[in-house]
Amino acid sequence: MKNFTARQGVLAFVVLALVFLPLLSSDTFVLRVVTEAVMWVGLAIAFDVIAGYTGYLNFGHGAFFGLGAYTVGILMMKAELPFAVALPAGGAVAALAALIAGFPTLRLKGAYFAIATWALSRAIQQLALNMDITGGPDGMRLDAFLNPQFFYYLMLGAVGGTFLVLWYLLERAPFGLKLKAIREDEEGAKALGLNPTMLKMQSFILSAIPTGILGGIYAYWITFIDPSSTLGDLVSDQAVVMVVFGGMGTLFGPAIGALLIFAFKTVFWAYLSKFQLLYLIILGALIAVSVVFMPNGLWGTMLKRRNTVRREPEAP
Amino acid sequence: MELLPQALVDGILLGGIYITIAIAFSLTYGVMHVIDFAVGEWIMFGAFTGFYLNKWTGLDPFIFLPVIFVMYFVIGYLVQPIIHRVLSGTKGNPFLMGLVFTFGLAIMFRGLALTVFGYYSNSIPSMFSEGSFNFDNYGISITIPYVRLVGLVYALSITAILHYMLKKTNFGLGVRALAQHKDAAGLMGVNSKRTGSYVYGIYVGISAMTGVLLGCILSIGAQMGNEYTIFAFFVVVLAGMGYLAGVPWAALLLGMVQSIFMIYFNPSHTLLAVFVILYIILLVSPRGLFGKGV
Repeated sequence: MKNFTARQGVLAFVVLALVFLPLLSSDTFVLRVVTEAVMWVGLAIAFDVIAGYTGYLNFGHGAFFGLGAYTVGILMMKAELPFAVALPAGGAVAALAALIAGFPTLRLKGAYFAIATWALSRAIQQLALNMDITGGPDGMRLDAFLNPQFFYYLMLGAVGGTFLVLWYLLERAPFGLKLKAIREDEEGAKALGLNPTMLKMQSFILSAIPTGILGGIYAYWITFIDPSSTLGDLVSDQAVVMVVFGGMGTLFGPAIGALLIFAFKTVFWAYLSKFQLLYLIILGALIAVSVVFMPNGLWGTMLKRRNTVRREPEAP
Repeated sequence: MELLPQALVDGILLGGIYITIAIAFSLTYGVMHVIDFAVGEWIMFGAFTGFYLNKWTGLDPFIFLPVIFVMYFVIGYLVQPIIHRVLSGTKGNPFLMGLVFTFGLAIMFRGLALTVFGYYSNSIPSMFSEGSFNFDNYGISITIPYVRLVGLVYALSITAILHYMLKKTNFGLGVRALAQHKDAAGLMGVNSKRTGSYVYGIYVGISAMTGVLLGCILSIGAQMGNEYTIFAFFVVVLAGMGYLAGVPWAALLLGMVQSIFMIYFNPSHTLLAVFVILYIILLVSPRGLFGKGV
């Protein structure tokens, strides 16, 4: 019980610190970095819904992020709709894309899904590069709304809300158990009367909506989007690294992974910007190394160690 | 319409080369039951190896094909045990981890290539690059560059060798047994670890060799891998995952699609067309064109 309250205390402290951060520091750089870190936490936990809990790897997570960003960009600049209307539309477009991509592939084995999502993200990037409405390779510029505090709280609210909804659905409601049942044994889940295809679909859409919304906020915040920054491989690749490194199948693991990787990225790009390409090598190596030596990720390994220390070792 | 015969011939010649990649790729899937996301990166590495060997020695890149095969066979042979270790792990979900592992390899290789080779696009010069075979009769005019003919010869011989290996040798029997049922094959005395290493080595070697050819015919660049990874997936899904006999037809179809888009439409829409076809196939017949995939 003591351990539990200690964890609650840490959580409460983190939440309070995040909420009052703009009052504590007037440095816009700090605020900007923290806003982006919060965004990556959101992207990582959204990715984990389908990858970690359901066991289906989505290698095109960035596509949903980019779709949200472009939807908001196009609706605000071309249709001149307010942000409050464009943002939910970004989430809806991402959900629709998940529906279209998931419908044929989620009936099949995980390999098909991994290929299809990866190919989808390439195809959407090609589409954005070749269309007029997206501005092609030049990208598009949004009207600037220069209020870092607003975006900080918006991002924090969106990610916090996502975290709470996912935590309830995956850790408290039966939905999470159903998804885990599919991950562990799909045939067994079927035998229990579950409809795996339907559940996987719900999980995929649940993963896509927050990603699209975060993309929309990102577009309005950064005010410039182009195919390589929002639809490029880097978004998907980073999401994969964060979740695999942090620990799949939990909510805290990806959050910790996201924070660590993002901190590393910020430091790396600040001091070693000449070697930006080296970053890709490090990301790839990090995935490979964590898979080989730490298949449960950082958080999973820590949990396991704590449990084995506390409990008596089971008889073989 | 006068371009159609040319487009079809180009498609067949290009598709022939894709057959070699896709067969080797399908073979590794059959043995490891994991898709290798780094397939395009192996092709890219092979292409760059050919490019630099040609630059340093001035000899024709085709002479180096066996050298490149041996080099990459060894690399693949050494990499596969790590994948095998991931796949036979007990922690987490091994198949998921295998996929993630090859995905990580692909990212790492792309980063490595971009760091070393930069963003430039190049092509490999060869003695076959100049000159072509012209056919101009019956109102049909077709131009076939010699280098593409060489590509076809290469593709046919590799396919024939692989076919012989799979159907006539004991090793091939083991490979096919592993693809059917891993545990049963193990009980019959097939060493899944060693066979897997050989197959992965052969696959990496063939991919690298094919990369040299693609570099001579089209172009090379550090980011070329992505495209070929999608092509390999396309062929394998179209043929039905693990169904080798469907691979040549799917590869030829891919070559056609690509050459028709190059001539009639915007070449940068090729990937979109490939994706649309892939989607329709998955929707209508998810086990491939012939319904024989797993």
